[in-house]
Amino acid sequence: MLLDFALPAHDRKLIPEGRLSGPMPWVIAIMLFLTLLVAAAGLTLADAAQKGGQDLSRQVTVQIIETDPVERANKRAEVTRYLRKFDGVTSVKPVSDTEVRKLLEPVLGVDILDADVPVPALVDIRLNQAPSASTLGSLRSSLRRVAPDVRLDPHSSWMAPFYRLMNVLLWLAGTVFLLLLVATSAVVILAVRSTLNTHRGTIEIMHLMGGTDVQAARLFQRRVALDALLGGFVGFCAAAFIMVTLGNQFAAAEPSLLSGVAFPLYGWVILALIPLAVTALAMLMARFTVISALKKML
Amino acid sequence: MQSVVEFDNVGLRYGTGAETLTDLSFTLFPGSFYFMTGASGAGKTSLLKLLYLAHRPSRGAIRMFGQDAITLPRNRLPGFRRRIGVVFQDFRLVPHLSTFDNIALPLRIAGISERELRGPVTEMLAWIGLTERADARPAMLSGGEQQRVAIARAVIGRPEILVADEPTGNVDPEMALRLLQLFAALNKLGTTVVVATHDIHLLQEVEGAQMMQLDKGRLSDPTGSLRHPPKPLILKN
Repeated sequence: MLLDFALPAHDRKLIPEGRLSGPMPWVIAIMLFLTLLVAAAGLTLADAAQKGGQDLSRQVTVQIIETDPVERANKRAEVTRYLRKFDGVTSVKPVSDTEVRKLLEPVLGVDILDADVPVPALVDIRLNQAPSASTLGSLRSSLRRVAPDVRLDPHSSWMAPFYRLMNVLLWLAGTVFLLLLVATSAVVILAVRSTLNTHRGTIEIMHLMGGTDVQAARLFQRRVALDALLGGFVGFCAAAFIMVTLGNQFAAAEPSLLSGVAFPLYGWVILALIPLAVTALAMLMARFTVISALKKML
Repeated sequence: MQSVVEFDNVGLRYGTGAETLTDLSFTLFPGSFYFMTGASGAGKTSLLKLLYLAHRPSRGAIRMFGQDAITLPRNRLPGFRRRIGVVFQDFRLVPHLSTFDNIALPLRIAGISERELRGPVTEMLAWIGLTERADARPAMLSGGEQQRVAIARAVIGRPEILVADEPTGNVDPEMALRLLQLFAALNKLGTTVVVATHDIHLLQEVEGAQMMQLDKGRLSDPTGSLRHPPKPLILKN
């Protein structure tokens, strides 16, 4: 069907191709601009969720509850040593008291911390894979032999609501993307019907001279394909400009806030394919619209 | 002799109105020349539409080229239509195509290559005297010139049947005669020609031509035994 795009020059003249004069390329450009932005947002979210999710789901914080500072330091050292030998643990990072205090200062205030409030000792560990409940259970019981008041906080548990939100946003992006594709298809169908009405006389003449429905459909497919390609190119350029500008803004922002949020390289390939896919979709819609309309003629 | 067209008790009705054509039964033979006459509204154009497969009849049977044209599947219609040349009363030239492209249209639709069609189209342009206007669009042509282009377009593909609705209505008598000679030449090559006309003087110009006379949607000779014009009696009618 896509080969129908290549028509001899004289056949192209049958339906005048006023590409820049009609609104169709510009409507497609706007629709594709929005579609590409939604797709880019979705791809960024998906990439961030996947990277962050993989990373965080393998992290666990070990808390050692001990009021005596000396004993707490001893237990932290002992737990650290024990964890370094534990099968499946890829990295162990004890968190110093100073770092813990820094973390708690914004919540509890300096005065309370200075009043010698007992804070837990923390050890951040990273596993070779996301721990299952049984892995956590066995790790917990092993650690309790070293430090009875130990607690395990898998990061995946407190990040779960955030990733649920990410998932909802991804679904939303997907839905908006599909709706925009449906709207683009509707625009194509309306434009083809309008052009068909404008050139009904020419099509009837072609029919009466033995032209087939497919011959007539090819004329429209070509016209729609050119409009969609032009619109797609303009839409892609506009979307790419916005994305590059936004990317620079993100890069200039506080890294810790937006770490891991970046448009993936493979996303550009997907974005470049979307206008081509929309062109193919538009040609398909044009073909079906014309052929179904012509079937009503004898 | 095998017929090219057979009408058997054909009727045509538009919507729910009265029949425009009623009980038409006749046979057209290959290589014959027919004039179709009748008053305005007698049904000439409707009958021509049935002949060039623009409509299907409301009742009756039509056989064309030895096959039932009524039950013909839609996808086989283009093949049949390519065997029929049509000159429309209102010319129906494609407005944004040049004279050359309008004449070449049936050949292009039939898939003839540009190299092959250039010669015949150029020759046809010369024959109708429009070589100088090859690049002109229909809007730039006079009524008579448009009519010549419409005729050239209809005959360029050497159709087996040529159907012409008032083909000489807008041309001067000399050009009318030349066009009629073109039809007669095609006829001699085996094309069945059906010309609807008000101009009864034309009937005298083609030797051996037969006449179909329509009156209020019926053939005045319902047996289909078409008479040889011209006859004084017919001319007076």
